[in-house]
Amino acid sequence: MKTILQLKTMSRNFGGLMAVNNVSFDVAEGEIFGLIGPNGAGKTTLFNLMTGLTPVSSGELHYCGELLTGLPPHKIAAKGIGRTFQNIRLFKGLSAVENVKIARHIKTSSGLWSSIISTPSCRTEEKCADEKAWEILRLVGLSDRGTELAENFSYGEQRRLEIARALALEPALLLLDEPAAGMNSSEKHELTGFIRQIRDQFKLTVLLIEHHVPLVMNLCDRIAVLNFGELITVGNPADVQKNTAVIEAYLGGE
Amino acid sequence: MEEFLQNSGFLIVTMVQQSLLAMSLYYPLMAGQLSLASPGFYALGGYTAAIIGTHEFFTPLRESIGWLAFPLEWLVAGVLSAILALIVGIPALRLRGIYLALATIAFVEILRVLCLNLTITGGAIGIFDVPQLFESRWSYIWIFGPLLVMMLFFSYRLEKSRTGRAFQAIREDELAADSMGINPTRYKVLAFVIGAVLAGIVGAMSAPFLNTWNARQGTFDASIAYLAYVLIGGSRSIWGPLLGGAMLSALPEVLRPLKDSRLIINGLVLVFASIYMPKGIAGVISRLKRSLTWKSRKNGGEA
Repeated sequence: MKTILQLKTMSRNFGGLMAVNNVSFDVAEGEIFGLIGPNGAGKTTLFNLMTGLTPVSSGELHYCGELLTGLPPHKIAAKGIGRTFQNIRLFKGLSAVENVKIARHIKTSSGLWSSIISTPSCRTEEKCADEKAWEILRLVGLSDRGTELAENFSYGEQRRLEIARALALEPALLLLDEPAAGMNSSEKHELTGFIRQIRDQFKLTVLLIEHHVPLVMNLCDRIAVLNFGELITVGNPADVQKNTAVIEAYLGGE
Repeated sequence: MEEFLQNSGFLIVTMVQQSLLAMSLYYPLMAGQLSLASPGFYALGGYTAAIIGTHEFFTPLRESIGWLAFPLEWLVAGVLSAILALIVGIPALRLRGIYLALATIAFVEILRVLCLNLTITGGAIGIFDVPQLFESRWSYIWIFGPLLVMMLFFSYRLEKSRTGRAFQAIREDELAADSMGINPTRYKVLAFVIGAVLAGIVGAMSAPFLNTWNARQGTFDASIAYLAYVLIGGSRSIWGPLLGGAMLSALPEVLRPLKDSRLIINGLVLVFASIYMPKGIAGVISRLKRSLTWKSRKNGGEA
Protein backbone atom coordinates (compact mmCIF):
# COMPACT_ATOMS: atom_id res chain seq x y z
CA MET A 1 0.00 0.00 0.00
CA LYS A 2 1.08 3.57 -0.71
CA THR A 3 2.44 5.60 2.20
CA ILE A 4 0.58 8.87 2.69
CA LEU A 5 2.24 10.13 5.87
CA GLN A 6 5.74 9.52 7.08
CA LEU A 7 7.10 10.63 10.46
CA LYS A 8 10.88 10.63 10.70
CA THR A 9 12.44 10.86 14.18
CA MET A 10 10.10 13.65 15.23
CA SER A 11 10.87 15.22 18.59
CA ARG A 12 9.57 18.09 20.66
CA ASN A 13 10.79 19.19 24.05
CA PHE A 14 9.25 21.79 26.31
CA GLY A 15 12.20 22.91 28.39
CA GLY A 16 13.54 19.71 29.91
CA LEU A 17 10.43 17.66 29.16
CA MET A 18 10.61 15.42 26.09
CA ALA A 19 6.93 15.55 25.10
CA VAL A 20 7.61 13.65 21.89
CA ASN A 21 10.88 11.77 21.57
CA ASN A 22 12.21 10.35 18.29
CA VAL A 23 8.89 9.11 16.97
CA SER A 24 8.93 7.48 13.52
CA PHE A 25 6.17 5.56 11.75
CA ASP A 26 4.37 5.45 8.41
CA VAL A 27 0.66 5.69 7.73
CA ALA A 28 -0.66 3.95 4.60
CA GLU A 29 -3.28 5.47 2.35
CA GLY A 30 -6.84 4.52 3.25
CA GLU A 31 -6.15 3.00 6.64
CA ILE A 32 -7.65 3.91 9.98
CA PHE A 33 -4.68 4.39 12.22
CA GLY A 34 -5.02 4.62 15.99
CA LEU A 35 -2.75 6.51 18.33
CA ILE A 36 -3.08 5.41 21.95
CA GLY A 37 -1.20 5.80 25.19
CA PRO A 38 -1.68 6.81 28.82
CA ASN A 39 -2.43 10.43 29.76
CA GLY A 40 0.49 12.73 29.02
CA ALA A 41 2.07 10.31 26.56
CA GLY A 42 2.41 13.05 23.92
CA LYS A 43 -0.44 12.08 21.59
CA THR A 44 -1.96 15.54 21.24
CA THR A 45 1.49 17.12 21.02
CA LEU A 46 2.23 14.77 18.14
CA PHE A 47 -1.00 15.93 16.41
CA ASN A 48 0.02 19.54 16.95
CA LEU A 49 3.43 18.81 15.43
CA MET A 50 1.79 17.24 12.38
CA THR A 51 -0.57 20.19 11.84
CA GLY A 52 2.06 22.86 12.47
CA LEU A 53 0.46 24.30 15.60
CA THR A 54 3.60 23.44 17.54
CA PRO A 55 6.95 23.61 15.73
CA VAL A 56 9.11 20.48 15.91
CA SER A 57 12.37 20.51 17.85
CA SER A 58 13.84 18.06 15.38
CA GLY A 59 12.75 15.49 12.82
CA GLU A 60 10.75 15.58 9.61
CA LEU A 61 7.21 15.04 8.48
CA HIS A 62 6.52 13.93 4.92
CA TYR A 63 3.05 13.96 3.40
CA CYS A 64 2.61 12.39 -0.06
CA GLY A 65 6.38 12.71 -0.45
CA GLU A 66 6.38 16.42 0.44
CA LEU A 67 8.23 17.87 3.43
CA LEU A 68 5.70 19.60 5.75
CA THR A 69 7.83 20.50 8.76
CA GLY A 70 8.19 24.27 9.19
CA LEU A 71 4.98 25.14 7.34
CA PRO A 72 2.33 27.20 9.17
CA PRO A 73 -0.99 25.46 10.04
CA HIS A 74 -3.02 27.08 7.24
CA LYS A 75 -0.57 25.85 4.59
CA ILE A 76 -0.67 22.32 6.02
CA ALA A 77 -4.49 22.45 6.02
CA ALA A 78 -4.38 23.52 2.36
CA LYS A 79 -2.26 20.44 1.51
CA GLY A 80 -5.21 18.31 2.56
CA ILE A 81 -4.87 17.59 6.27
CA GLY A 82 -8.00 18.28 8.33
CA ARG A 83 -8.25 17.94 12.08
CA THR A 84 -10.50 18.15 15.12
CA PHE A 85 -9.47 19.20 18.62
CA GLN A 86 -9.50 17.34 21.93
CA ASN A 87 -11.06 20.36 23.69
CA ILE A 88 -13.52 21.23 20.91
CA ARG A 89 -12.56 24.48 19.18
CA LEU A 90 -15.61 25.45 17.17
CA PHE A 91 -16.41 29.03 16.20
CA LYS A 92 -18.95 29.11 19.01
CA GLY A 93 -20.61 32.44 18.30
CA LEU A 94 -21.38 31.46 14.69
CA SER A 95 -24.03 29.13 13.30
CA ALA A 96 -23.31 25.50 12.44
CA VAL A 97 -23.50 26.15 8.70
CA GLU A 98 -21.15 29.14 9.01
CA ASN A 99 -18.69 26.95 10.88
CA VAL A 100 -18.64 24.52 7.97
CA LYS A 101 -18.58 27.29 5.34
CA ILE A 102 -15.51 28.86 6.92
CA ALA A 103 -13.62 25.67 6.19
CA ARG A 104 -14.47 26.10 2.48
CA HIS A 105 -12.00 28.98 2.52
CA ILE A 106 -9.23 27.15 0.71
CA LYS A 107 -11.65 25.70 -1.86
CA THR A 108 -12.90 29.17 -2.81
CA SER A 109 -11.06 32.22 -4.06
CA SER A 110 -13.31 35.33 -4.12
CA GLY A 111 -11.37 38.41 -3.10
CA LEU A 112 -12.65 41.32 -1.03
CA TRP A 113 -13.71 43.54 -3.93
CA SER A 114 -15.46 40.90 -5.98
CA SER A 115 -17.49 40.06 -2.86
CA ILE A 116 -18.37 43.70 -2.21
CA ILE A 117 -19.60 44.34 -5.76
CA SER A 118 -20.93 40.77 -5.85
CA THR A 119 -19.66 39.61 -9.24
CA PRO A 120 -21.50 36.69 -10.91
CA SER A 121 -18.55 34.34 -10.36
CA CYS A 122 -18.48 35.29 -6.68
CA ARG A 123 -22.22 34.64 -6.37
CA THR A 124 -21.87 31.22 -7.99
CA GLU A 125 -18.98 30.37 -5.68
CA GLU A 126 -20.96 31.51 -2.64
CA LYS A 127 -23.92 29.37 -3.70
CA CYS A 128 -21.69 26.32 -4.18
CA ALA A 129 -20.06 26.82 -0.77
CA ASP A 130 -23.50 27.08 0.78
CA GLU A 131 -24.76 23.90 -0.88
CA LYS A 132 -21.61 22.01 0.02
CA ALA A 133 -21.87 23.12 3.67
CA TRP A 134 -25.49 21.93 3.92
CA GLU A 135 -24.60 18.65 2.20
CA ILE A 136 -21.89 17.97 4.78
CA LEU A 137 -24.24 18.94 7.63
CA ARG A 138 -26.79 16.45 6.28
CA LEU A 139 -24.11 13.78 6.24
CA VAL A 140 -23.32 14.24 9.93
CA GLY A 141 -27.04 14.54 10.74
CA LEU A 142 -27.10 18.17 11.80
CA SER A 143 -28.80 19.78 8.81
CA ASP A 144 -32.07 20.44 10.66
CA ARG A 145 -30.20 22.67 13.12
CA GLY A 146 -27.82 24.33 10.67
CA THR A 147 -28.76 27.90 11.51
CA GLU A 148 -28.39 27.49 15.28
CA LEU A 149 -25.31 28.80 17.05
CA ALA A 150 -22.60 26.18 17.59
CA GLU A 151 -22.45 26.97 21.31
CA ASN A 152 -26.04 25.75 21.75
CA PHE A 153 -25.17 22.25 20.55
CA SER A 154 -24.72 19.32 22.90
CA TYR A 155 -21.26 17.90 23.46
CA GLY A 156 -21.72 14.99 21.06
CA GLU A 157 -23.22 17.26 18.42
CA GLN A 158 -20.29 19.66 18.77
CA ARG A 159 -17.92 16.76 18.14
CA ARG A 160 -19.86 15.84 15.00
CA LEU A 161 -19.90 19.47 13.87
CA GLU A 162 -16.13 19.62 14.27
CA ILE A 163 -15.79 16.57 12.04
CA ALA A 164 -18.14 18.23 9.52
CA ARG A 165 -15.97 21.34 9.56
CA ALA A 166 -12.83 19.28 8.96
CA LEU A 167 -14.54 17.38 6.11
CA ALA A 168 -15.37 20.70 4.40
CA LEU A 169 -11.65 21.07 3.71
CA GLU A 170 -11.98 17.95 1.54
CA PRO A 171 -8.90 16.49 3.22
CA ALA A 172 -7.11 13.31 2.19
CA LEU A 173 -5.95 12.81 5.76
CA LEU A 174 -8.22 13.38 8.74
CA LEU A 175 -6.81 13.69 12.26
CA LEU A 176 -9.38 13.08 15.00
CA ASP A 177 -8.36 13.95 18.55
CA GLU A 178 -10.49 11.86 20.92
CA PRO A 179 -13.66 11.85 18.82
CA ALA A 180 -15.54 9.64 21.30
CA ALA A 181 -14.71 11.66 24.43
CA GLY A 182 -17.87 12.38 26.41
CA MET A 183 -20.07 10.12 24.27
CA ASN A 184 -22.25 7.37 25.73
CA SER A 185 -21.82 3.77 24.60
CA SER A 186 -24.49 3.84 21.88
CA GLU A 187 -23.05 7.08 20.51
CA LYS A 188 -19.60 5.47 20.55
CA HIS A 189 -20.94 2.53 18.61
CA GLU A 190 -22.52 4.84 16.05
CA LEU A 191 -19.25 6.75 15.77
CA THR A 192 -17.39 3.60 14.71
CA GLY A 193 -19.76 3.14 11.80
CA PHE A 194 -19.65 6.82 10.97
CA ILE A 195 -15.85 6.98 10.78
CA ARG A 196 -15.81 3.92 8.48
CA GLN A 197 -18.53 5.50 6.34
CA ILE A 198 -16.71 8.80 5.84
CA ARG A 199 -13.43 6.97 5.21
CA ASP A 200 -15.06 5.07 2.33
CA GLN A 201 -17.14 7.97 1.03
CA PHE A 202 -14.35 10.60 1.00
CA LYS A 203 -11.50 8.14 0.34
CA LEU A 204 -9.87 9.29 3.55
CA THR A 205 -6.99 8.15 5.62
CA VAL A 206 -7.92 8.54 9.28
CA LEU A 207 -5.52 9.02 12.14
CA LEU A 208 -7.22 9.07 15.52
CA ILE A 209 -6.36 9.49 19.16
CA GLU A 210 -8.70 7.58 21.43
CA HIS A 211 -8.80 6.40 25.02
CA HIS A 212 -11.70 4.01 24.69
CA VAL A 213 -9.83 0.76 24.02
CA PRO A 214 -12.68 -1.41 22.64
CA LEU A 215 -13.47 1.29 20.07
CA VAL A 216 -9.84 1.53 18.95
CA MET A 217 -9.39 -2.23 18.76
CA ASN A 218 -12.60 -2.61 16.76
CA LEU A 219 -12.07 0.31 14.40
CA CYS A 220 -8.37 0.63 13.66
CA ASP A 221 -6.37 -1.25 11.04
CA ARG A 222 -3.15 -0.45 12.86
CA ILE A 223 -2.25 1.11 16.18
CA ALA A 224 0.75 3.03 17.47
CA VAL A 225 1.32 3.17 21.22
CA LEU A 226 3.07 6.11 22.87
CA ASN A 227 4.34 6.30 26.44
CA PHE A 228 6.30 9.23 27.93
CA GLY A 229 6.76 10.65 24.43
CA GLU A 230 8.30 7.50 23.04
CA LEU A 231 6.86 5.07 20.54
CA ILE A 232 6.53 1.64 22.17
CA THR A 233 5.12 -0.33 19.30
CA VAL A 234 3.21 -0.16 16.02
CA GLY A 235 1.10 -3.02 14.77
CA ASN A 236 -2.34 -4.48 14.22
CA PRO A 237 -4.75 -4.50 17.19
CA ALA A 238 -4.25 -8.16 18.08
CA ASP A 239 -0.46 -7.85 18.24
CA VAL A 240 -0.56 -4.61 20.20
CA GLN A 241 -2.86 -6.18 22.79
CA LYS A 242 -0.35 -8.97 23.39
CA ASN A 243 2.71 -6.67 23.52
CA THR A 244 4.27 -6.83 26.98
CA ALA A 245 5.61 -3.24 26.83
CA VAL A 246 2.07 -1.98 26.16
CA ILE A 247 0.62 -3.95 29.04
CA GLU A 248 3.36 -2.56 31.27
CA ALA A 249 2.66 1.01 30.17
CA TYR A 250 -1.03 0.71 30.94
CA LEU A 251 -1.01 -1.56 33.98
CA GLY A 252 2.50 -1.03 35.33
CA GLY A 253 5.34 -3.57 35.46
CA GLU A 254 5.69 -6.28 38.08
CA MET B 1 -36.04 74.34 8.96
CA GLU B 2 -33.39 76.75 7.76
CA GLU B 3 -32.85 77.93 11.32
CA PHE B 4 -32.71 74.38 12.67
CA LEU B 5 -29.99 73.48 10.19
CA GLN B 6 -28.11 76.66 11.05
CA ASN B 7 -28.11 75.69 14.71
CA SER B 8 -27.89 71.92 14.63
CA GLY B 9 -26.22 71.31 11.27
CA PHE B 10 -22.74 71.22 12.74
CA LEU B 11 -23.81 68.76 15.42
CA ILE B 12 -25.54 66.43 12.94
CA VAL B 13 -22.51 66.35 10.65
CA THR B 14 -20.28 65.75 13.68
CA MET B 15 -22.48 62.81 14.73
CA VAL B 16 -22.10 61.21 11.30
CA GLN B 17 -18.37 61.91 11.28
CA GLN B 18 -17.89 60.36 14.73
CA SER B 19 -19.98 57.33 13.72
CA LEU B 20 -17.65 56.81 10.77
CA LEU B 21 -14.62 56.96 13.06
CA ALA B 22 -16.24 54.46 15.42
CA MET B 23 -16.79 52.19 12.39
CA SER B 24 -13.07 52.35 11.63
CA LEU B 25 -12.51 50.47 14.91
CA TYR B 26 -15.16 47.94 13.97
CA TYR B 27 -13.23 46.27 11.11
CA PRO B 28 -10.20 45.23 13.17
CA LEU B 29 -12.62 44.16 15.94
CA MET B 30 -14.48 41.99 13.43
CA ALA B 31 -11.22 40.04 13.13
CA GLY B 32 -10.86 40.08 16.93
CA GLN B 33 -8.20 42.79 17.08
CA LEU B 34 -8.54 45.68 19.52
CA SER B 35 -6.78 48.49 17.63
CA LEU B 36 -6.94 52.09 18.83
CA ALA B 37 -4.89 53.43 15.90
CA SER B 38 -7.77 55.22 14.17
CA PRO B 39 -7.00 58.74 15.51
CA GLY B 40 -3.50 58.42 14.02
CA PHE B 41 -4.85 57.71 10.55
CA TYR B 42 -7.55 60.36 11.03
CA ALA B 43 -4.79 62.89 11.79
CA LEU B 44 -2.75 61.69 8.81
CA GLY B 45 -5.75 62.12 6.50
CA GLY B 46 -6.48 65.58 7.87
CA TYR B 47 -2.90 66.75 7.42
CA THR B 48 -2.86 65.32 3.89
CA ALA B 49 -5.94 67.35 2.98
CA ALA B 50 -4.70 70.48 4.78
CA ILE B 51 -1.30 70.34 3.12
CA ILE B 52 -2.66 69.70 -0.38
CA GLY B 53 -5.21 72.46 0.24
CA THR B 54 -2.83 75.15 1.51
CA HIS B 55 0.81 74.41 0.64
CA GLU B 56 2.25 76.62 -2.14
CA PHE B 57 3.83 73.58 -3.78
CA PHE B 58 0.32 72.37 -4.71
CA THR B 59 -0.96 75.81 -5.89
CA PRO B 60 -0.58 75.05 -9.63
CA LEU B 61 -2.30 71.69 -9.13
CA ARG B 62 -5.21 73.27 -7.24
CA GLU B 63 -5.63 75.96 -9.89
CA SER B 64 -5.68 73.49 -12.75
CA ILE B 65 -8.13 70.95 -11.30
CA GLY B 66 -10.38 73.21 -9.19
CA TRP B 67 -12.85 71.41 -6.91
CA LEU B 68 -11.46 68.04 -8.01
CA ALA B 69 -8.68 68.74 -5.53
CA PHE B 70 -11.04 67.53 -2.78
CA PRO B 71 -11.67 63.99 -4.09
CA LEU B 72 -7.94 63.87 -4.86
CA GLU B 73 -7.21 64.67 -1.19
CA TRP B 74 -9.48 61.80 -0.07
CA LEU B 75 -7.79 59.42 -2.48
CA VAL B 76 -4.26 60.42 -1.43
CA ALA B 77 -5.24 60.22 2.26
CA GLY B 78 -6.69 56.73 1.72
CA VAL B 79 -3.59 55.49 -0.11
CA LEU B 80 -1.17 56.97 2.44
CA SER B 81 -3.19 55.47 5.31
CA ALA B 82 -3.14 52.06 3.63
CA ILE B 83 0.65 52.20 3.17
CA LEU B 84 1.25 53.32 6.75
CA ALA B 85 -1.22 50.72 8.05
CA LEU B 86 0.73 47.98 6.27
CA ILE B 87 4.03 49.22 7.71
CA VAL B 88 2.62 49.49 11.23
CA GLY B 89 0.18 46.58 11.08
CA ILE B 90 2.47 43.76 10.01
CA PRO B 91 4.71 43.99 13.10
CA ALA B 92 2.04 45.32 15.53
CA LEU B 93 -0.52 42.61 14.78
CA ARG B 94 1.82 39.98 16.16
CA LEU B 95 0.65 41.33 19.52
CA ARG B 96 -2.66 40.30 21.00
CA GLY B 97 -5.40 41.89 23.07
CA ILE B 98 -4.36 44.68 25.37
CA TYR B 99 -0.77 44.64 24.07
CA LEU B 100 -1.96 45.47 20.57
CA ALA B 101 -4.14 48.26 22.02
CA LEU B 102 -1.10 49.69 23.83
CA ALA B 103 1.08 49.48 20.72
CA THR B 104 -1.54 51.31 18.65
CA ILE B 105 -1.86 54.04 21.32
CA ALA B 106 1.92 54.42 21.13
CA PHE B 107 1.60 54.77 17.34
CA VAL B 108 -0.97 57.56 17.76
CA GLU B 109 1.33 59.35 20.23
CA ILE B 110 4.37 59.06 17.94
CA LEU B 111 2.41 60.58 15.06
CA ARG B 112 1.10 63.37 17.29
CA VAL B 113 4.56 64.34 18.58
CA LEU B 114 5.91 64.15 15.03
CA CYS B 115 3.20 66.50 13.75
CA LEU B 116 3.82 68.84 16.65
CA ASN B 117 7.46 69.24 15.62
CA LEU B 118 7.53 69.16 11.80
CA THR B 119 7.42 72.38 9.80
CA ILE B 120 5.25 70.93 7.03
CA THR B 121 2.47 70.21 9.57
CA GLY B 122 2.68 73.73 11.00
CA GLY B 123 4.17 72.67 14.33
CA ALA B 124 2.13 73.45 17.42
CA ILE B 125 0.03 76.05 15.60
CA GLY B 126 -1.11 73.68 12.90
CA ILE B 127 -2.53 74.59 9.52
CA PHE B 128 -5.09 77.40 9.13
CA ASP B 129 -7.49 78.44 6.38
CA VAL B 130 -7.95 75.01 4.85
CA PRO B 131 -10.09 75.70 1.74
CA GLN B 132 -13.77 74.91 2.17
CA LEU B 133 -15.67 72.53 -0.05
CA PHE B 134 -19.08 74.01 0.86
CA GLU B 135 -20.22 77.38 2.14
CA SER B 136 -22.23 76.10 5.10
CA ARG B 137 -21.14 73.55 7.67
CA TRP B 138 -24.41 71.67 7.26
CA SER B 139 -23.66 70.97 3.58
CA TYR B 140 -20.83 68.66 4.60
CA ILE B 141 -23.52 66.06 5.18
CA TRP B 142 -23.36 65.59 1.39
CA ILE B 143 -19.94 63.99 1.71
CA PHE B 144 -20.11 62.33 5.14
CA GLY B 145 -23.64 61.00 4.56
CA PRO B 146 -22.87 59.11 1.33
CA LEU B 147 -19.65 57.76 2.87
CA LEU B 148 -21.70 56.42 5.80
CA VAL B 149 -24.19 54.75 3.45
CA MET B 150 -21.34 53.29 1.40
CA MET B 151 -19.69 51.87 4.50
CA LEU B 152 -22.97 50.33 5.66
CA PHE B 153 -23.34 48.65 2.28
CA PHE B 154 -19.67 47.59 2.37
CA SER B 155 -20.11 46.04 5.83
CA TYR B 156 -23.32 44.29 4.85
CA ARG B 157 -21.63 42.60 1.89
CA LEU B 158 -18.43 41.99 3.82
CA GLU B 159 -20.20 40.10 6.58
CA LYS B 160 -21.60 37.57 4.09
CA SER B 161 -18.36 37.20 2.12
CA ARG B 162 -15.44 34.79 2.22
CA THR B 163 -13.23 37.55 3.63
CA GLY B 164 -15.78 38.48 6.31
CA ARG B 165 -16.11 34.85 7.36
CA ALA B 166 -12.31 34.62 7.67
CA PHE B 167 -12.39 37.73 9.93
CA GLN B 168 -15.09 36.20 12.13
CA ALA B 169 -13.31 32.85 12.30
CA ILE B 170 -10.17 34.57 13.57
CA ARG B 171 -12.22 36.53 16.11
CA GLU B 172 -13.85 33.33 17.39
CA ASP B 173 -10.72 31.16 17.53
CA GLU B 174 -7.52 32.13 15.78
CA LEU B 175 -5.86 28.73 16.17
CA ALA B 176 -8.85 26.86 14.79
CA ALA B 177 -9.11 29.33 11.89
CA ASP B 178 -5.44 28.72 11.11
CA SER B 179 -6.04 24.97 11.14
CA MET B 180 -8.95 25.45 8.70
CA GLY B 181 -6.68 27.01 6.10
CA ILE B 182 -7.12 30.70 6.93
CA ASN B 183 -3.94 32.78 7.10
CA PRO B 184 -4.54 34.82 10.28
CA THR B 185 -1.79 37.40 9.71
CA ARG B 186 -3.05 38.23 6.25
CA TYR B 187 -6.65 38.80 7.32
CA LYS B 188 -5.75 40.66 10.50
CA VAL B 189 -3.61 43.06 8.47
CA LEU B 190 -6.39 43.42 5.89
CA ALA B 191 -8.94 44.30 8.59
CA PHE B 192 -6.51 46.79 10.10
CA VAL B 193 -5.90 48.42 6.69
CA ILE B 194 -9.65 48.75 5.97
CA GLY B 195 -10.13 50.58 9.29
CA ALA B 196 -7.10 52.79 8.63
CA VAL B 197 -8.22 53.78 5.12
CA LEU B 198 -11.67 54.72 6.43
CA ALA B 199 -10.18 56.83 9.26
CA GLY B 200 -7.78 58.49 6.79
CA ILE B 201 -10.55 59.42 4.36
CA VAL B 202 -12.74 60.76 7.19
CA GLY B 203 -9.73 62.87 8.29
CA ALA B 204 -9.28 64.25 4.77
CA MET B 205 -12.98 65.18 4.67
CA SER B 206 -12.81 66.73 8.14
CA ALA B 207 -9.94 69.19 7.53
CA PRO B 208 -12.05 71.39 5.19
CA PHE B 209 -15.06 70.87 7.48
CA LEU B 210 -13.17 72.15 10.54
CA ASN B 211 -11.28 74.76 8.48
CA THR B 212 -8.14 74.18 10.53
CA TRP B 213 -5.99 71.18 11.43
CA ASN B 214 -3.49 70.70 14.23
CA ALA B 215 -1.94 68.11 16.50
CA ARG B 216 -4.97 68.18 18.83
CA GLN B 217 -6.81 66.15 16.21
CA GLY B 218 -6.03 62.50 16.77
CA THR B 219 -4.86 62.14 20.35
CA PHE B 220 -5.06 59.49 23.04
CA ASP B 221 -8.36 61.06 24.20
CA ALA B 222 -9.80 60.40 20.76
CA SER B 223 -8.67 56.74 20.96
CA ILE B 224 -10.61 56.34 24.18
CA ALA B 225 -13.65 58.20 22.82
CA TYR B 226 -13.85 55.92 19.77
CA LEU B 227 -13.45 52.88 21.98
CA ALA B 228 -16.35 54.15 24.13
CA TYR B 229 -18.49 54.55 20.98
CA VAL B 230 -17.92 50.92 20.07
CA LEU B 231 -18.36 49.63 23.62
CA ILE B 232 -21.62 51.50 24.17
CA GLY B 233 -22.96 50.91 20.68
CA GLY B 234 -21.91 47.26 20.44
CA SER B 235 -19.09 45.61 18.54
CA ARG B 236 -20.89 42.66 16.97
CA SER B 237 -22.68 44.52 14.17
CA ILE B 238 -21.97 47.63 12.13
CA TRP B 239 -25.00 49.34 13.71
CA GLY B 240 -23.22 49.34 17.07
CA PRO B 241 -20.47 51.86 16.23
CA LEU B 242 -22.97 53.86 14.19
CA LEU B 243 -25.38 54.24 17.12
CA GLY B 244 -22.64 54.62 19.71
CA GLY B 245 -20.79 57.29 17.73
CA ALA B 246 -23.93 59.29 16.98
CA MET B 247 -25.37 59.13 20.49
CA LEU B 248 -22.21 59.73 22.49
CA SER B 249 -21.11 62.65 20.32
CA ALA B 250 -24.57 64.22 20.75
CA LEU B 251 -24.80 63.57 24.50
CA PRO B 252 -22.66 66.51 25.70
CA GLU B 253 -24.71 68.87 23.48
CA VAL B 254 -28.06 67.51 24.65
CA LEU B 255 -26.96 67.90 28.28
CA ARG B 256 -25.58 71.41 27.74
CA PRO B 257 -28.38 73.08 29.80
CA LEU B 258 -27.05 71.18 32.84
CA LYS B 259 -23.80 73.17 32.59
CA ASP B 260 -20.86 71.44 34.26
CA SER B 261 -22.85 68.64 35.89
CA ARG B 262 -23.40 67.23 32.39
CA LEU B 263 -19.94 65.69 32.62
CA ILE B 264 -21.13 63.65 35.61
CA ILE B 265 -24.15 62.38 33.67
CA ASN B 266 -21.89 61.68 30.70
CA GLY B 267 -19.67 59.54 32.93
CA LEU B 268 -22.60 57.77 34.57
CA VAL B 269 -24.04 56.83 31.18
CA LEU B 270 -20.73 55.24 30.24
CA VAL B 271 -20.44 53.28 33.49
CA PHE B 272 -24.02 51.98 33.51
CA ALA B 273 -24.02 51.16 29.83
CA SER B 274 -20.93 49.00 30.17
CA ILE B 275 -22.39 47.16 33.19
CA TYR B 276 -25.94 46.60 31.94
CA MET B 277 -25.38 46.40 28.19
CA PRO B 278 -22.21 44.34 27.70
CA LYS B 279 -23.12 43.83 24.05
CA GLY B 280 -23.99 47.51 23.62
CA ILE B 281 -27.10 49.20 22.32
CA ALA B 282 -27.06 47.06 19.17
CA GLY B 283 -27.01 43.95 21.38
CA VAL B 284 -30.07 45.12 23.33
CA ILE B 285 -31.96 45.91 20.12
CA SER B 286 -31.24 42.54 18.55
CA ARG B 287 -32.27 40.78 21.78
CA LEU B 288 -35.56 42.71 21.84
CA LYS B 289 -36.13 41.86 18.18
CA ARG B 290 -35.48 38.18 18.81
CA SER B 291 -37.79 37.99 21.81
CA LEU B 292 -40.53 39.79 19.84
CA THR B 293 -40.36 37.41 16.88
CA TRP B 294 -40.26 34.47 19.29
CA LYS B 295 -43.39 35.71 21.06
CA SER B 296 -45.26 36.35 17.83
CA ARG B 297 -44.34 32.90 16.57
CA LYS B 298 -45.59 31.38 19.81
CA ASN B 299 -48.85 33.32 19.61
CA GLY B 300 -49.25 32.35 15.96
CA GLY B 301 -48.83 28.69 16.90
CA GLU B 302 -51.60 28.84 19.49
CA ALA B 303 -54.08 30.65 17.27
